[in-house]
Amino acid sequence: MTKLYGRLFLLPGLFTLIAIIIFPLVFTIALSFSNWSVANSGFDWVGGRNWSAMAENDRFWASMTRLLPFAFLTVVIQYVLGFAIAMFAWKGVAAGRFFRVLWLIPMMTTPVVMSVVWKSIFNETVGPVNFFLTAAGVSPIAWLSSSTPAMFAIIVAEVWQWTPFMFLLLLAGLLSLPKEPFLAASIDGAGPIRTFFAVTLPMMAPVSIGAIIIRLIEASKIFDTIYAMTSGGPGSSTETPSYYIYIVGLRNFDLANGATLSLTYLITFIVLLTVIAQILTRLSKPKGV
Amino acid sequence: MALVGHDLSVAVDDVTYLSNVSFTFEPGRIYVLMGRTGAGKTSFMRAVSGLLPLDSGSLSFNGEDITHAPVWKRDCAMVYQQFINYPNKTVRQNVEFPLRKAGLSGTELSNRVDSYLAKVGMTEFASRIPSQLSGGQQQRVALARSLARHSRILMLDEPLMNLDFKLREQLREEFLELFQGENESVTIYATTEITEAMMLGYEILVMHEGQILQSGKPEHVFERPKNKLVAQIVNDPPISIISAQITGSKIVLASGVTLPVPTHFRSLAEGTYEFGIRAIDVEPATDSASTESGEVGFVEVSGSETVLYLHTKAGEIVLQIEGIHDYHAGQKLSVALRPERMFVFDDSGQLLGSPKLEVS
Amino acid sequence: MLMKRVLTLAFVTFWSIFVMMPILWALVTSLKPPEAVDFGATFIPFVDFTPTLLGWESIFGVGGGSVNLVPALFNSIIVTFGGAAISLVLGTVSAYGLSRFAYKLGFIRNADIVFFFISQRIMPPIVLSFPFFLMLRNLGLLDTHLGLILVSIGGLMPIVVWLMVDFFNGIPRELDEMAMLEGYSPFETFVKVILPLSAPGLTVAGMFAVIFGWNDFFYPLVLTFGQVVTLPLAIVALNATITPYWTLSAAAIFAILPLVAFAFAMERFLSRGSLSGAVR
Repeated sequence: MTKLYGRLFLLPGLFTLIAIIIFPLVFTIALSFSNWSVANSGFDWVGGRNWSAMAENDRFWASMTRLLPFAFLTVVIQYVLGFAIAMFAWKGVAAGRFFRVLWLIPMMTTPVVMSVVWKSIFNETVGPVNFFLTAAGVSPIAWLSSSTPAMFAIIVAEVWQWTPFMFLLLLAGLLSLPKEPFLAASIDGAGPIRTFFAVTLPMMAPVSIGAIIIRLIEASKIFDTIYAMTSGGPGSSTETPSYYIYIVGLRNFDLANGATLSLTYLITFIVLLTVIAQILTRLSKPKGV
Repeated sequence: MALVGHDLSVAVDDVTYLSNVSFTFEPGRIYVLMGRTGAGKTSFMRAVSGLLPLDSGSLSFNGEDITHAPVWKRDCAMVYQQFINYPNKTVRQNVEFPLRKAGLSGTELSNRVDSYLAKVGMTEFASRIPSQLSGGQQQRVALARSLARHSRILMLDEPLMNLDFKLREQLREEFLELFQGENESVTIYATTEITEAMMLGYEILVMHEGQILQSGKPEHVFERPKNKLVAQIVNDPPISIISAQITGSKIVLASGVTLPVPTHFRSLAEGTYEFGIRAIDVEPATDSASTESGEVGFVEVSGSETVLYLHTKAGEIVLQIEGIHDYHAGQKLSVALRPERMFVFDDSGQLLGSPKLEVS
Repeated sequence: MLMKRVLTLAFVTFWSIFVMMPILWALVTSLKPPEAVDFGATFIPFVDFTPTLLGWESIFGVGGGSVNLVPALFNSIIVTFGGAAISLVLGTVSAYGLSRFAYKLGFIRNADIVFFFISQRIMPPIVLSFPFFLMLRNLGLLDTHLGLILVSIGGLMPIVVWLMVDFFNGIPRELDEMAMLEGYSPFETFVKVILPLSAPGLTVAGMFAVIFGWNDFFYPLVLTFGQVVTLPLAIVALNATITPYWTLSAAAIFAILPLVAFAFAMERFLSRGSLSGAVR
């Protein structure tokens, strides 16, 4: 009898999720073996044709190789900055509700809307960034029409948006650390820098890894910022996999190819994520234990 | 009107929780489950309440088979060790909650609640919430909530374990009063302490590793433990077990010390046996007759008694002395062993004789 | 020592300014008349330019060449709260099951099922967007509130399950047992005993669901064609056409305001309540 109740609790949610996720996933796999596009709708079997096309799709692979350093860079910056401000909010100058709330604001805004604002900020003629650059005697930069500055602008937008997330998780972690190791360290005469690297950072390892992995997952999916700020441009130099696949599948309506590309993206993503998670966990284990 | 369990067994992932447990419990009586931690007392109660599903065996109440009845239909009340109450309800609401579910309302409800709050002495705290109460008070509320239900089965799982010593003594007395009243439930009480068992139990069941070793009236089990294991479980401080021989008409200890054979061991044949003596029956020696000497290994002062653990050539001997005395480890001590207070077990551990049981 | 103090203060100040900068910029720009924008950046109202309400009026349909964002606001509210509510109910009920009952399907155990739920967040939306598009089209649910709500559940339920399983695990199982011993079936126990104790957890889960749901841009972009336009989508659409900056900025501020207000309200509610200990 109790077993029956147990099932009643879990099954509605589980079935809904399976319907919304697994079923479409199978659909996507089927699509990848078809030639569904504007011209042909329906599942006509074409074997592995889409898959070999995918392997030769230079633009796709360019977007994939572009994503890796981008995701890493943006997450690392968010982590370092987030940890820094978390330290200040924990015990430093900024410990207090005012700063905590203030620094969380970016996270509460809608990312794509803020990307629109950032686009206007980086506007080459009327945006404040170039205004300050010229005021400082530096020549204005063509932010969104050259590839490297465009990347930079996107990273700034992402850092602004998501550092508070790191901040939130890391601060919560710091607040729940036990006091004893710190007392021991101060008795041993360790200064603040030594204490940080020998005590704080190691103890924050699990929280750090969790936060980094979550942010890596989200950063890899990036779409909104690209769409709003650069539309993948100039050319295709800021295209990320999500954006490119969107163009293929939902602008050009080449669903079969889109499905194939998205599955490749998913599998690569999962494999890399697992590897990274393993590396991080191994790195954090104390040596000799 | 009896709760009958027949051959109950439960094992999960290679761990045996209950093994062939059978019993017949009458309403209005208190049955005490005695045993060490992990003996199966909690599993017993969880099986009776339905919280632990049985692998085999059957359970019935009043002839009605409840082996497969769901927990919420068994009319069981349980008082836990860790004083659990509904944290977001007041004391009064806590006691009312199950009664409402049982269908009580109006004046009948409030009278029942008032009467049980008074019985546990919590009337003036009726509008507090559990987090505002002390441990003892919370346990009283839990008690009131369970007792007020007049459920057909009432179970208490070491309810006094997490309270301090003084409170334990006080509540033990109160239990006796509470259970004396109009209690028609089959009451099952689990404890590790023999004092509680003796005080409260109509019958005690000694449990070990999921099995019932012996059941019977407290005095009976205490004075006639079926075997060494039961004797060890029901005695606190531990009973001393020493190997010795019967030769001629003397008991010869391993150290060479001889003791006269007491009357109740008259019929014992010569040979090697294991003798048991309670800590309370061992005293520091005043003269050199019937004494064994050794070195104090460990001293324990508890309540108003001193317990000494002695290493002697005859074996490990435990003695309990009234009052608080200043002994220390390494000290040499001689003790007198009174043969008339001894138990004797055969080589398989079965009881052959005790002060109240003559060897046949 | 002083040097360190100065440096930390400088950093804190810099970061605080950086945090406020885009929002302040948008706010200030929303008050600018055309002249203040077209010839370069201007900053301080009344000093660099005279503020007007032109931008703000234009987002409510006043003035020529304007747009009305109010319908988009309502669409966002309906889709977000609809999706969050359903996800909260389904997710909480599942989470309770996962916390209290031991499931066994072959070698699959509770922890595996929880992982399954949580892992859905790893799925990039693009992967499912093609089947969603085709399926909704066949069901006639493209460009409808219901269609967007259904799709959002897949992304929001994992969040709810993740938070609530953790929360329920923090409520002693003995409470459930007590209620059952006292005659309540598991379902009654859930509703009458556990849910009343779950307010803090439900609030946090609900809050996250609303935030994630509101900010979703991808699915509204892909699955609508102009009937059911949510607020973020409307803002980006403005960006694509030649929209004056004062309108765009006013629109941006208008778009982020509801969520920021919501988040503040929840934060207030939570720090007053017993958050510490509820979400561990």
